Amino acid sequence: MAVKIIESCVNCFACLPVCPSNAIYEAKPHFLVDAKKCTECEGAFADFQCASICPIEGAILNSFGEEINPAGSLTGIPPEKMAEAMAELQAH
Amino acid sequence: MQLPVLNNVPEAKSGCAASSCGSTDSQIDSLPDAIREKVQNHPCYSEDAHHYFARMHVAVAPACNIQCHYCNRKYDCANESRPGVVSEVLTPDQAVKKTMAVAANIPQMTVLGIAGPGDPLANPEKTFETFRRLSEEAPDIKLCVSTNGLALPAAVEELAKHNIDHVTITINCVDPEIGAKIYPWIFWNNRRIKGVKAAKILIEQQQKGLEMLIAKGILVKVNSVMIPGINDEHLAEVSRVVKSKGAFLHNVMPLIAEAEHGTFYGVMGQRGPTPEELQDLQDSCSGDMNMMRHCRQCRADAVGMLGEDRGDEFTLDKIEDMDIDYQAAMEKRKVIHAAIQEEMDSKRLEKAQKAEAQKQAERMTTRPVLMAVATSGQGVINVHFGHAKEFLIYEASPSGVRFISHRKADAYCSGDISCGETESTLQRTIHSLAGCEAVLCSKVGYEPWEMLEKAGIMPNGEHAMENIEDAVMAVYREMAKAGKLTAENAPIRASA
Repeated sequence: MAVKIIESCVNCFACLPVCPSNAIYEAKPHFLVDAKKCTECEGAFADFQCASICPIEGAILNSFGEEINPAGSLTGIPPEKMAEAMAELQAH
Repeated sequence: MQLPVLNNVPEAKSGCAASSCGSTDSQIDSLPDAIREKVQNHPCYSEDAHHYFARMHVAVAPACNIQCHYCNRKYDCANESRPGVVSEVLTPDQAVKKTMAVAANIPQMTVLGIAGPGDPLANPEKTFETFRRLSEEAPDIKLCVSTNGLALPAAVEELAKHNIDHVTITINCVDPEIGAKIYPWIFWNNRRIKGVKAAKILIEQQQKGLEMLIAKGILVKVNSVMIPGINDEHLAEVSRVVKSKGAFLHNVMPLIAEAEHGTFYGVMGQRGPTPEELQDLQDSCSGDMNMMRHCRQCRADAVGMLGEDRGDEFTLDKIEDMDIDYQAAMEKRKVIHAAIQEEMDSKRLEKAQKAEAQKQAERMTTRPVLMAVATSGQGVINVHFGHAKEFLIYEASPSGVRFISHRKADAYCSGDISCGETESTLQRTIHSLAGCEAVLCSKVGYEPWEMLEKAGIMPNGEHAMENIEDAVMAVYREMAKAGKLTAENAPIRASA
């Protein structure tokens, strides 16, 4: 039972101090979660602390491998709108 | 709030602050002496000082506790210049080293700010460790911090301890309904909170923090991002509120929103204000509040004078090889600062005398004119038209010369209708000067000369190395003499 930080992490440090179990550590190319230490905040907080401050959609997965903050949930940008903008950018 | 009508002459408005009218009054002259003393060598707080003094930011604060719709933490890029963007995040130790290296090599650097790339107060240990060490090891540098305000009340004690006498709070609204359209979420009491509820908490903390800082005697500047259709009509109210609580300066900045930045506003097509809309709002606030108009919205790792970024000269690998004798540097800095101060003082005196003489002279009745000026500092016209990366915009009118804003010369183009991809850099530069009737620089080449004339902007290279305000006034008088300044031949205000 542990969350996982994946490659879309931008190394912003926000999650590191809010983890109640000191399970998050700085690593290259991105921060990682020590699965042995992570408790998914059970007994401490109602919500995953790391995923509650993380600004990047999709960067943290739950123990089922699902994105805790799916696309559009934090920025409010509809995913298709974002895809459109990025495709436009690629074309240039 | 009703925006002023086009070509409204500011002097005609009631309650116009001395700070924004006439050549007599620089932006800080209306401040109490104690505050002026504190900001006279601070390039961000004093329009006068920004012609002479430099600043730097150290990017020690990557974490953020809120999300703003104009920010995206994902696509930080070396070629972009906007807040929240950095090339490398520093440890406090690296930041101290870098600050001392810059202070020794750019002696006119007087101010060290921590502004991100996240929120400095969401990284309290790194931010305060940097401040603590600098206040001990480089006591001749002014320290300041810029924050979104959420964690401010809890940090005021600590800020006061480290001798930080300048704080900037970004306050975009005092109404949670408006705030919900700017801030999608905040992290507060171990939860991510969204919508109006989140905005309400953020606004409460900002206002509480502002009051606490004022009570401690710490100078507070308020930054606001002007977002057309969202908070533009609300910002005059923000200005009133923060002034009544004791903020001494209000800096209204235009929204930067491009789809390629991947921000909510950029992707959703929210536009930024035109230079005219920004100026009208600043003018409408200036009756109540001291307005800042020379902000360059710099990166969280910017180094140098406000219009420039010399960050490349002070990358981690470069400062590693620098051997800094800070005691010696401090001596040198002291001498240079005193010389600059002397020059500024004598210019201020000269300006006051000229203004007095002008008051005695016959009053002109001509309309105001916007002029663009190419300068790299020292308050003189000293840049070739083709080399200018930015232009300072001044307004000349019978009551004198006042600074209005700056405009980027190589403004990037998003390929929309008003700024087609086929436009050359030169055309874009001329386009960015829309609304100006003259451009003053040290020299202008033949090709731009013709294109400027065609665009209705009179090129002028006759005032090289002259004081900006004197030159602008001289050109204004020439235009008046030539009969160009009657109400009938006023240009139609461009919406560019």
